[in-house]
Amino acid sequence: MHRFANPSRFLKIARPLTGWLFWPGLVLLVAGALCGLLVTPADYLQGDTVRILYIHVPAAWLGMAGWSGIAVAAIVQLVWRHPLAAIAGRAVAAPGALFTAICLATGSIWGRPTWGTWWEWDGRMTSMLVLLFLYLGYIALANASPRDGQGGVSPVTAIFGLVGAINIPIINRSVVWWNSLHQGPSITMRGSSIDGSILWPLGFTLLGFSLWFGAIVLMRMRTILARNKVEARLQRLARG
Amino acid sequence: MKAKHQRLVLALVALAALVGAGLLAASALRDEAAYFYAPADVRAKGVEPGKAIRLGGMVVKGSLKRATDGVTLRFDVTDGKATVPAVFSGIAPDLFKEGSGVVAEGAFDAKGTFVATNLLAKHDERYMPRELEGMKYDEATHQLKVER
Amino acid sequence: MNHWAFVIAAYAVTFVGTAAVSWVSWRGMRRAEAEAERAGRA
Repeated sequence: MHRFANPSRFLKIARPLTGWLFWPGLVLLVAGALCGLLVTPADYLQGDTVRILYIHVPAAWLGMAGWSGIAVAAIVQLVWRHPLAAIAGRAVAAPGALFTAICLATGSIWGRPTWGTWWEWDGRMTSMLVLLFLYLGYIALANASPRDGQGGVSPVTAIFGLVGAINIPIINRSVVWWNSLHQGPSITMRGSSIDGSILWPLGFTLLGFSLWFGAIVLMRMRTILARNKVEARLQRLARG
Repeated sequence: MKAKHQRLVLALVALAALVGAGLLAASALRDEAAYFYAPADVRAKGVEPGKAIRLGGMVVKGSLKRATDGVTLRFDVTDGKATVPAVFSGIAPDLFKEGSGVVAEGAFDAKGTFVATNLLAKHDERYMPRELEGMKYDEATHQLKVER
Repeated sequence: MNHWAFVIAAYAVTFVGTAAVSWVSWRGMRRAEAEAERAGRA
């Protein structure tokens, strides 16, 4: 666990990994989006609006996976006192919040032509909006607590990240537990009710956005580590 | 026990308590958080006339009739267990059609007809190209297949 | 209702967000690492 606590060890892996994740991720997500726009057939019921699927689902995935990452980082931070975990929590928060917002925006744009409404307070939409507010609270809490020279989030922020994780299974199950306007899950452990001819670009965009998100988190962690280095240097100068 | 282990146990206990509390709250909310009433809920619980609710279900095939005024729609809403008649005057969403899902906002009148003031289309979790229209998701094989 | 307007709006929102995050994260990293490099040499 603490093998990577040393920033120079982490950076040795993170530096090359950033590019390896970023460019393949970008190529995949652009290819998936183009195929989703131009190649796949329209849906029998929704027509061309079904193409919003290829970006709406990855955005939801990033928003939820981002908070899951925050929760895992919080456990590692609180139990093992791992400084990189605290930094990872801070690095994930802003892009995670943005993609939660993109999920809500694309869902709203999708809802108008299909359901006939921009917004309804059903279980899925409300719990996703709560996730956005959790992100904003986490970011505010992380910025409000004093910097300790490590650039990570405070233990209180980490605890908030852990507590907020309860919303993730609620979002996932909301369409099963409650009558909702949002349809039930299409892809389950047992199969998919999306026909293969419509489904395949989703694999591209999901994988592409995931790799790309990993690269963004690494970039933001490297930024924090570099700033720590500058700060440590300034402190040494001030003392010396 | 090392301090690290104590913190680990504490974190896991806290997490378990949290998940338990969350699930408990969610199941307690089961009815209150429901976005709409299904026809079976209406029959089981009874909804007084005039009370504003949402009614959701499938539009029964063959039940949709347009009145002579051109804007009034009459149709039956079912959830497979119960069926209630509904009426709506206005512009329905594109995806509103027989055999498809609907969520209607409105209230019951004294005769038990649901008078909708707004219609929303609810589609299901199936996505397929037009040439496969009519295929159903088979729970046994987890494949889309032609309905017989 | 023209469905393509909605599709294009949704893709535009997503790609503006993706591009913005890419640019801001990359530029922030380059600046911070360049500064750290200078601090390390000084």
